[in-house]
Amino acid sequence: MRNYLRHTILLLGALTLSTAVFAAEGDFTVTDAYVRAVPPGTPTSLAFMTIKNSSDADRKLVKADSPVAKTVELHNHTNENGVMKMRQVKEIIVKAKGQAELKTGSYHVMLIDLKQTLKEGDTVPVMLTFDDGSTKKLELPVKMPQTVMKMDGDKAMDHSKMKH
Amino acid sequence: MKSRALLIAIIAVMSALLVWLAFFWEPIAPKAVTKVQPHSQLQLATTPQGGDFTLQGKNGPVALADFRGKVVLIYFGYTFCPDVCPTSLSLMAQALSSLEPAQRERVQGIFISVDPERDTPERLKEYAPFFHPAIIGISGSQEQLAAVTKQYGASYMKQKPNAEGQYAVDHSSVTYVIDPDGKLAASLPHASTPQQISDAIRPLLTTSGK
Repeated sequence: MRNYLRHTILLLGALTLSTAVFAAEGDFTVTDAYVRAVPPGTPTSLAFMTIKNSSDADRKLVKADSPVAKTVELHNHTNENGVMKMRQVKEIIVKAKGQAELKTGSYHVMLIDLKQTLKEGDTVPVMLTFDDGSTKKLELPVKMPQTVMKMDGDKAMDHSKMKH
Repeated sequence: MKSRALLIAIIAVMSALLVWLAFFWEPIAPKAVTKVQPHSQLQLATTPQGGDFTLQGKNGPVALADFRGKVVLIYFGYTFCPDVCPTSLSLMAQALSSLEPAQRERVQGIFISVDPERDTPERLKEYAPFFHPAIIGISGSQEQLAAVTKQYGASYMKQKPNAEGQYAVDHSSVTYVIDPDGKLAASLPHASTPQQISDAIRPLLTTSGK
């Protein structure tokens, strides 16, 4: 019994500690992030990612920057009666203890007027700025859409279809 | 007596709850269901006729009639499009890759740009085959595009340009499947899987001996 109690205290201690370390690193974790490879001469590309917010407050992604494009904007897509409409948005909300998914047919970081062709295997620096002024620097791999789809499998496509 | 009234009241409430659960409660949020409807409504409302057209490629005019005997996949988009068009063309490419070589030779992909101001024939020649060598890129004058999109029930609308003069184009995202006789066989909605696309192609290849 005493052993059990000690273990519990140790575990709680470890949990508290790990949370503390995590918070010190920032409230955001970014996963599944990549920039899409584009045909030669294409002026635009985009970055997809999942942003997790570990804090207790709703937060917003307000800006993104990248040296590979003249202009970087936050965009969203809506599907209105089968017509895909892409619009710039001021911010992307990342819910408290939640996540924002930047993915096909939805939100994305749009790279406009590319200064170079983005080929599969390249790495692109992208910096995110949140509403509290904090920033996150990312080095994103460039991937062909086919490569990503193969990894996600057909299930992921079905999922994205459900959204519309 | 009072407790009896209370009992009756509880029974009444429970019965009402049961009735509500049985007839009105929807465990699945109704929102998710209504969201799917616009697709099918669009499909039914527009009933595109399809048909022949001639547009411009890098090496001269390209007509749908050039591909008689082949199954043709048509997609309307624009090359500035960062997400929807590359996604759709990648799905088309995967469907093409999933076919047997002998079948693939009898399938032609056509990307029609509804943004001829920026999408020159040279630009389209660079763009479309990037996704799959069996996909070509063509476009035409605004009048030609208005005619061909009307034939197929596709729509597009240029949006206001940003400070640098770049603009987005709202557009319907449908893959049209044309049979070897040039007739519109199927209209596949946005985000149709490679499996769904190849499933639409295969029967058309086996039924025609031309």
